[in-house]
Amino acid sequence: MTRRFLAAVVVLAALCGVGNAGAQSLVDATGKEVTVTGDRRVVAVGGSVTEIVYALGLEDRLLAVDSTSLYPAAATELPNVGYMRQLSAEPILALGPELVLAIEDSGPPAALDQLRDAGVPVVIVPDPYTPEGVLAKIDMVATALGVEEKGRALHSKVAAELAAVREAFGGIGERPRVLFLLAVSKSRAALAAGRDTSAEGIIALAGGINAIDGFESYKPLSPEAAVAAAPEVLLVGSRSLDLMGGMDSLLAIPEIALTPAGRERRVVVIDTLLLLGFGPRTAQAAAQLGRQLHPSVTLPAALQ
Amino acid sequence: MDLSSFAQARHRRGLAALWLFGLGLAGTFLLAVGYGAVEIGPGQSIAILAAQTGLDLPWEFTRQQEAVLLAIRLPRAVAGVLVGGALAASGAALQGLFRNPLADPALIGVSNGAALAAVVAIVLGAGIVRLVPALPRDLLLPLAAFGGGLATTFLVYRIASRDGRTDVATMLLAGVAMNAMAGAGIGFMVFLSDDQQLRDLNYWLLGSLGGITWDRLVLVAPLMLIGILSLPFFARPLNAMLLGESEAVHLGFSVERSKRAIVVLAALATGTSVAITGVIGFVGLVVPHLVRLTAGPDHRLLLPISILFGASLVLIADLFARTLVLPAELPIGIVTACVGGPFFLWLLLRRRGPGGW
Amino acid sequence: MLRADDIQVRYGSAEVLRGPSLSVAPGEVVAVLGPNGAGKSTLLAVLAGTLRPHRGEAALDGRALADWSPRALALRRAVLPQSSELAFGFPVLEVVLLGRSPHAGATTRAADLAIAEACLAEAEVTHLAGRLYTTLSGGERQRVQLARVLAQIDFPKLDFPDAGQGGEARYLLLDEPTSSLDLAHQHATLRTARRAAERGIGVLAILHDLNLAAMYADRLVVLSRGELAAEGTPAEVLTEALVREAFDLPVHVTRHPTRGCPQISPI
Repeated sequence: MTRRFLAAVVVLAALCGVGNAGAQSLVDATGKEVTVTGDRRVVAVGGSVTEIVYALGLEDRLLAVDSTSLYPAAATELPNVGYMRQLSAEPILALGPELVLAIEDSGPPAALDQLRDAGVPVVIVPDPYTPEGVLAKIDMVATALGVEEKGRALHSKVAAELAAVREAFGGIGERPRVLFLLAVSKSRAALAAGRDTSAEGIIALAGGINAIDGFESYKPLSPEAAVAAAPEVLLVGSRSLDLMGGMDSLLAIPEIALTPAGRERRVVVIDTLLLLGFGPRTAQAAAQLGRQLHPSVTLPAALQ
Repeated sequence: MDLSSFAQARHRRGLAALWLFGLGLAGTFLLAVGYGAVEIGPGQSIAILAAQTGLDLPWEFTRQQEAVLLAIRLPRAVAGVLVGGALAASGAALQGLFRNPLADPALIGVSNGAALAAVVAIVLGAGIVRLVPALPRDLLLPLAAFGGGLATTFLVYRIASRDGRTDVATMLLAGVAMNAMAGAGIGFMVFLSDDQQLRDLNYWLLGSLGGITWDRLVLVAPLMLIGILSLPFFARPLNAMLLGESEAVHLGFSVERSKRAIVVLAALATGTSVAITGVIGFVGLVVPHLVRLTAGPDHRLLLPISILFGASLVLIADLFARTLVLPAELPIGIVTACVGGPFFLWLLLRRRGPGGW
Repeated sequence: MLRADDIQVRYGSAEVLRGPSLSVAPGEVVAVLGPNGAGKSTLLAVLAGTLRPHRGEAALDGRALADWSPRALALRRAVLPQSSELAFGFPVLEVVLLGRSPHAGATTRAADLAIAEACLAEAEVTHLAGRLYTTLSGGERQRVQLARVLAQIDFPKLDFPDAGQGGEARYLLLDEPTSSLDLAHQHATLRTARRAAERGIGVLAILHDLNLAAMYADRLVVLSRGELAAEGTPAEVLTEALVREAFDLPVHVTRHPTRGCPQISPI
């Protein structure tokens, strides 16, 4: 009787201690103030968010991820809450999360509201396609998880890598025109990345320039647009290339075949999530692309 | 044979069927509210509901359970009942109107019109929201879908009406034409859409009861209820119209007025359903069939029982949709198609013999 | 009196009816005859109130049909269609009960059932009452439809005090009521028409069989190419000359051995 009573007191004391540890509030990407407390078991939504969690070494806290969380491979073994824009509140609640980290544009808004109403804090992580954006993501995720020190370490590491990329490719005068192509399905024409896309962001980082200036977001490529774009290099994600039927099929597309890139068969293929995720490996992605765009540039050791 | 006892027996069977399906719906509703990903025991469910009226029952529940039950499962179940009832009622009424057991709300252009409007909203939504900042983003899609469905139905109806008379065959053909055009429009929008929009579109076209909250429900529920509760009043004209439209006129019914009303009510019921859940197929087609098999073609029984059964069916389909692939959800349209499709084929094969529908 | 005067009906540029007049009085059987395309069904539709003529007017008891509400008309006249397309499995009894629709609110279920029973008996389809309509043959369906229209106009009313008497004459418009029937039932149907007339109902029937018309009708009306070709008693109308002219068929006209009406035998 006494032992159980003592045990209860100890547990109660421990809970009190842990319960109040690190209670703090932060402002997320939607401008909402979110209070995060406790040793947080997390559901992560968004490929780059999940990557950051792993990079911070906190993968044990992950209860589930979404369908865009493909890196590292271990993430794909976790329970899958579905497509990031089609979440459902109740199944997520059933997992018992104490925090939901969701990349900007996750939804539907009603589901996120239902999570908040049920007492689960939801932190929306911003997603701008810039190096500063990557660092902001790392900061917010680290703060939300209560690991500011680890976060600062990761921030420094990634910042250094990004600085190296900027140094290697930032000052180059000749920036090749790069056209990014995204294939969504076998039967549909591939889409080209216009302004304000993650593809444009990474191309710029790698010392290139987006060949497309005439539209925003991803749109099908018209012959006129292809001619106006006149890209010198084609950039595709590896999955997109498969959907398009391989290199020869890609180069056989009439609009593409007539471009300088098509004629000279200058195509760069990089894993899609790596390329577009704007997560911790952004610098590697930029370096990989930059190496192809500027073969003569020597990269610092950090980026080899 | 004794006609009055024959008639009485049929009458009793009809009432029994009504009671049976009514109780079935009540049971299914309880199941839908009480069962889900988050564990909530029956005692706790009752305690949560009682607490809303101020009663304090001995079962303990957490804030999360309360939120799940009251803000997630309850509106979802209510929406399921309304949507199932609305789709089944319009299906039954349109099958009577077109004198064709294969009729379905999609034939009068509602579904594709709503789909086209929704697609436009998804693909051009950002631009529209910028133009009308006061419009909450969440409402744009349902409003567009509802408006699109109603507009197409109205167009189809106008094409088929002349001199105050509506030709049902022309309406069917106009519906086919509208569907083709809407399909082309949707295809074009799909062509213009980017990766994210395309996925949103696909999910919407497959239907889902997820994300339904009380405030969204409160907007559409009155309209759905108008459709659901009004259609059974056209049971007798529909029965007479099965004989043929002239025969129904000979029997003293205002056939033109009935046709107009039925089309409008069916469009209302279907349009509002599509607005909150996206496109859910097969319910309008399969439910009236099944009910006819058990309760006969008399619309006085067919309509109310179809409403009850449709509601139950959607609730059951939703139960599968939200528990089969935890922690994700299946679009409910997939479940209804997987069940409805083969079942429908089986129905067709079974009924090859005489006996009609 | 149900009458239609100087009726002109056009479908597009084709003139289907060019001004014939027709009337049906309570207690008489009028047979409308004529070759295909003569406009018989169109004229029946005008008399039924479902087709508005371009010129001319149809009236019941002096009031234009267009001024009657559908329900009021339905209580006074019933139309037996040429064919009925009911594709849903209603039991025969319920099809007949559909005929009671205009009386909703003014009748009881027991009264309706009693009337339906009597009409089923009159149409000789009592044994089919529990069968599904869609399992019946063409002839059986036609007789069931006859029972239905009889129920609509309270045919057995003289036997059922609470069926609601009304004191106003009823009318039966029959569009080729014998087309799918075997010989015995053809005569049974027309005997029903005669019995209806005896009860004060005005009956108009479109018939193809001249002999049947001669045997059962009080008055014949012959339409040809949208116009009235002849009108009168069977004896007056059915002459060799007229039949050859209107029907393009040379015939012998003889007298029926027992009934005395004309009988047509093609040459």
